[in-house]
Amino acid sequence: MARIIGVEIPPNKRIDIALRYVYGIGPSNAKEILAAANIDPSIRAKDLTEAQLSQIVHAIQEGKYVIEGDLRREIGLNLKRMQAIKCYRGVRHLRGLPVRGQRTQTNARTRKGPRRTVGVQRNPNAKTGIH
Amino acid sequence: MGRSIKKGPFVEAHLFDKIAKAKEAKSKAPIKTWSRRSMITPDFVGLTFNVHNGKVFNPVFVTENMVGHRLGEFSLTRTFKKHGAHTAKAEAK
Repeated sequence: MARIIGVEIPPNKRIDIALRYVYGIGPSNAKEILAAANIDPSIRAKDLTEAQLSQIVHAIQEGKYVIEGDLRREIGLNLKRMQAIKCYRGVRHLRGLPVRGQRTQTNARTRKGPRRTVGVQRNPNAKTGIH
Repeated sequence: MGRSIKKGPFVEAHLFDKIAKAKEAKSKAPIKTWSRRSMITPDFVGLTFNVHNGKVFNPVFVTENMVGHRLGEFSLTRTFKKHGAHTAKAEAK
């Protein structure tokens, strides 16, 4: 079991793939990190020596990558800021609608979630003519 | 694609003049503008703008963390439609 930066446990995969299990490290960041740490990307994660592991951790910390909790917090704060200032993007986040100008007449199911039928709540005063 | 940094933020010239004038006079009166595309710079902070949304002017009070956004982002152009009755009673539920 290899552990990198706290909780990440990527076992039988190549180290360049395994590193991507860290939140905030994708294909290109993993490549950069391994180049900086001078490690062959084709080694399996479990075959790494302690020294190599610490080299990777060092490379991550040196490279100023924002990962895991810090990255999640950063994203959360950005959302909160946009919602607090009531800008268009913030409003779309609040309402759970697509933020980047996609259509919403159809599709947009990722943001809107499962289809719900919205029944009309009748105005109880409609018959009497008071609105 | 983003705007080249070399050019600096875009602020409509006539709006810039109005801001300069308001700063000089220290007036807090809202500045009426149609320029939704102007970026909010630190000079804007503390001023109120009436930003046109195509129909009416929405008041936007600029705070510090609005810097870098456009004025138009704060003056919505569409009405959010909901189903059903919108009486005060129904809203309270």
